[in-house]
Amino acid sequence: MAQRHRSLWHMIIAPVIWALHFLAVYCFSAIVCAKAAPFGWAQGGVLAMTAVALALIFWQAVLAWRQWDFLDDGDHVHERPTATSRREFLGHAGLLLAIVSFIAVTFVTLPVLFVGDCR
Amino acid sequence: MSASDVSPTAPGSDVLDSPMQGVWPPTPAMLASPVDPDLSRAQAKRLRKAWETPRGWRHVTAVNNTHVGKWYAMTALAFMLGAGVLALLMRIQLAVPENGFLDSDRFNQFFTMHGSAMMFLFAVPMFEAISILLLPALLGTRDMPFPRLSAYGYWCFLIGGIFVLGSVLFDAAPSSGWFMYPPLATESEGIGADIWLLGLSFIEVASIAAAVELIVGVIKCRPPGMRINLMPLYAWYVLVVGGMILFAFPPLIAGDFLFELQRSLDWPFFDPDRGGDPLLWQHLFWIFGHPEVYIIFLPSIAIAAMVVPTAARVPIAGYSWIVLSAVGTGFLSFGLWVHHMFTTGLPALSLGFFSAASEAVVIPTGVQIFAFLATLMVGRARMILPMLWIAGAVAIFTAGGLTGVMVALAPFDWQVHDTYFIVAHLHYTLFGGMVFPVIGGVYYFFPVIKKKKLSERLGRWSFWLCFTGFNICFLPMHLTGLLGMPRRVYTYQADLGWNALNLVSTVGAFVLALGILVFVWDLVRPKRHEPHTPRNPWGAGTLEWTHDVPDEPWGVRSVPYITSRYPLWDQPELLARMDAGRFYLPDAPEGLRETMITSAVDAVPLHVARLSGPGWSPLVAALFTGGAFILPTFKIYTPAVICGLLAIAAILFWLWTATARIPEKPFKDGGLGLRLPTYVSGPKAPGWWAVFITMLGDATGFASLVFGMFFYWTARPDFPPPDSPHADPVLSGIAALLFGAAWAATRLARGLNAAGLIGAARGSLLAGPLLALAGCGALIAAILHLAPQTHVYPAMVWALVIWTVSHVLCGAIMQGYCLARSLAGRMTAQYDADLWNTTLFWHFLLATCLIGTAMVALIPRAM
Repeated sequence: MAQRHRSLWHMIIAPVIWALHFLAVYCFSAIVCAKAAPFGWAQGGVLAMTAVALALIFWQAVLAWRQWDFLDDGDHVHERPTATSRREFLGHAGLLLAIVSFIAVTFVTLPVLFVGDCR
Repeated sequence: MSASDVSPTAPGSDVLDSPMQGVWPPTPAMLASPVDPDLSRAQAKRLRKAWETPRGWRHVTAVNNTHVGKWYAMTALAFMLGAGVLALLMRIQLAVPENGFLDSDRFNQFFTMHGSAMMFLFAVPMFEAISILLLPALLGTRDMPFPRLSAYGYWCFLIGGIFVLGSVLFDAAPSSGWFMYPPLATESEGIGADIWLLGLSFIEVASIAAAVELIVGVIKCRPPGMRINLMPLYAWYVLVVGGMILFAFPPLIAGDFLFELQRSLDWPFFDPDRGGDPLLWQHLFWIFGHPEVYIIFLPSIAIAAMVVPTAARVPIAGYSWIVLSAVGTGFLSFGLWVHHMFTTGLPALSLGFFSAASEAVVIPTGVQIFAFLATLMVGRARMILPMLWIAGAVAIFTAGGLTGVMVALAPFDWQVHDTYFIVAHLHYTLFGGMVFPVIGGVYYFFPVIKKKKLSERLGRWSFWLCFTGFNICFLPMHLTGLLGMPRRVYTYQADLGWNALNLVSTVGAFVLALGILVFVWDLVRPKRHEPHTPRNPWGAGTLEWTHDVPDEPWGVRSVPYITSRYPLWDQPELLARMDAGRFYLPDAPEGLRETMITSAVDAVPLHVARLSGPGWSPLVAALFTGGAFILPTFKIYTPAVICGLLAIAAILFWLWTATARIPEKPFKDGGLGLRLPTYVSGPKAPGWWAVFITMLGDATGFASLVFGMFFYWTARPDFPPPDSPHADPVLSGIAALLFGAAWAATRLARGLNAAGLIGAARGSLLAGPLLALAGCGALIAAILHLAPQTHVYPAMVWALVIWTVSHVLCGAIMQGYCLARSLAGRMTAQYDADLWNTTLFWHFLLATCLIGTAMVALIPRAM
């Protein structure tokens, strides 16, 4: 946990999950469609990947929320020169990134629900 | 604030491996104790001597960020004006229907060059220029971590830019559009397309160099105490944009590589008759091209993030939200590229993914605009001149963003694709997102740069001319586009209903140009007789306003200890203490250029880095690199190879003489009771990070080639062709083993060297290049029977092998370099940074080699 508190990498895990999900969804559906497999496979596969991605992002959001520790002191500015302020800042930014990533993953999944086939 | 909060080095806290000795953080008593004025004067004299800029004709060897940054910015401005003139000439041609002012070929050259130059020679380099110029000031550091790399990047940019833009004067410019779509561009006559490919690849190398420099600058060169949550927002944006360049530019370089192989050697990557596919180029181009838009936008809006708090006289509202905005936009911008390809016949599902991501990016992009507005609302805003430009920028950008939301919807895009609607949209985003904030930034930062202020009156004239001219020019284009006028036509018939709109746009273009000219005149007019500016004319809170007036060469007199986001507002004694030399590195007793390296997140002092000073090697290396890229345009290959070798020699000379120098003593006094190491290697060293970052970009380029292989597999039913011969599996396997052995030799050498077994380490470093070269031989022998001109499959195999082998040759040179350094006594068991960096390179190289051989010999058999 202590590692997470001073790590830039942890802050960007959620958008990295978005990127991997995006790439996986795009490649998977392209391959399924190009190799003439049924559209249902693409649909099912994408939804499964989305479920995994959303679960992981949610988990990151929970960790980031704990790291931010907002309810403890109500601090959302984090401008002090302290380890606490830095930790809470990284948690706050990580949480916001997780929220945006969650929305973006949901957005990217919508086409498989609306588009009926590979054309 | 509890005691444990302010002393992070207390036992059990987070600084575990810091090798510094002494007091950290400094106590208030230490900070308050005065410096003897005589001592301070003597220190300042030594510091001034160490940072002195060469005079006379040797001025071109200067590497100070303040000099290189100025050259960079003025060069980019000159290229912008040239590209702007091309736009005006096009607007004259389009002012009336069936005009004969320009013929179609010249018109094609002009719009191609206008787009290419504005993107590659103005927008991206201007970001690099401004960042190189200002980042050290914003971070209160002496210079960028690799001053000579900045200089090298600048000279590459200058040479490449003159070459590319100059071609338009010889009627030889590229004419296939700034995105060079094949088959038009692969089939085009003349050398225009080659100039584009080779000239701009050359400049892209400079961009990646700048990205490496800026990332390392932000994460390792912050002043002590400036934790990541205190960093100026501009630095956050630079960090994000640097990362984006690393992942966006290499796909284009990989694409250029394939494209130029097709043009010079007729390897059919984009030729459908021989299994190729023009769409691969579009993918590679736009994987670069869309992030590029944000690479341009983010650093410019970052200027707004500096100006807005000053104008509002309060700290920025929602710092974390703006960081979210920068980072989130940086990521999402990589999921948008296909929205440039909505009309290429890709499956609706693929279009849907990219349309959705294009809508999602609005969220982080919008957040920062709202944060700016919130700051202005809670503060006591003054409409200072820079803020006027920023306000104009936000208005224009928002309009461009709204049409962006429209064209991100595939069905709407099908209607307006390739019409003037798109021209209007992209100019709204780029003027609002780049030109206006950058000009606002010039007005804002000019006192730091030149110690004079620009004219308030001319600035307001310029703004209103630009703002009205811009809208008169581009607002009607939305309508022109909706009425069906396509982009890139050199003329149109009189009865289509476009006449009045086009005439209005042309008038607007000239009003806009007049506004830009007023700004340029304000910028370059002699100001010798004007008084110096006050030190902090806008009453800002950030560190760049601690600059010296009149100018001093050292960046900062002493590197401050920072405890606030707005140190000038919150740390009242800061300026006097900096000037007195109370803080870190106030002296240069060895006459060397030094700066402070701190830890990435908490900015704990780690190391005193000795920076390289002025020298000819960056300039010479850039000249020969230029030759290696430019001569092949004219099919002059032998001198090009010689230039390439000389460039490598120049770079090796530069590294040999100016980097990883063994210090005269392992530790030195850093000021305020701190003793810091003068040499570090491995992950503590900025150089190691530079290699790591460079190799991330390089890996992206290689991944693009691998993507190409899979792309053909999904796009073509006959890839690889069923009857095609494959690479020899045995020889490929041997090659993989030899590459693995060469990697192991490098890694082993590092361990042996560190253990003091110098002889064994040298033996290992001798074996390394031999194994590597043998591996190259085996890999080439494995594919020698494949004919790359016949089909895209063997061509792709050859491309992968060329990429791999050229990297292995670099790796072998690095092994040899380490061996030579060891033999020359410039690398020892303790001072082994070269070997750490080479090993890191080889870690990446091993992955390239193994994936490369698998892609060549294994994967195609399974496809």
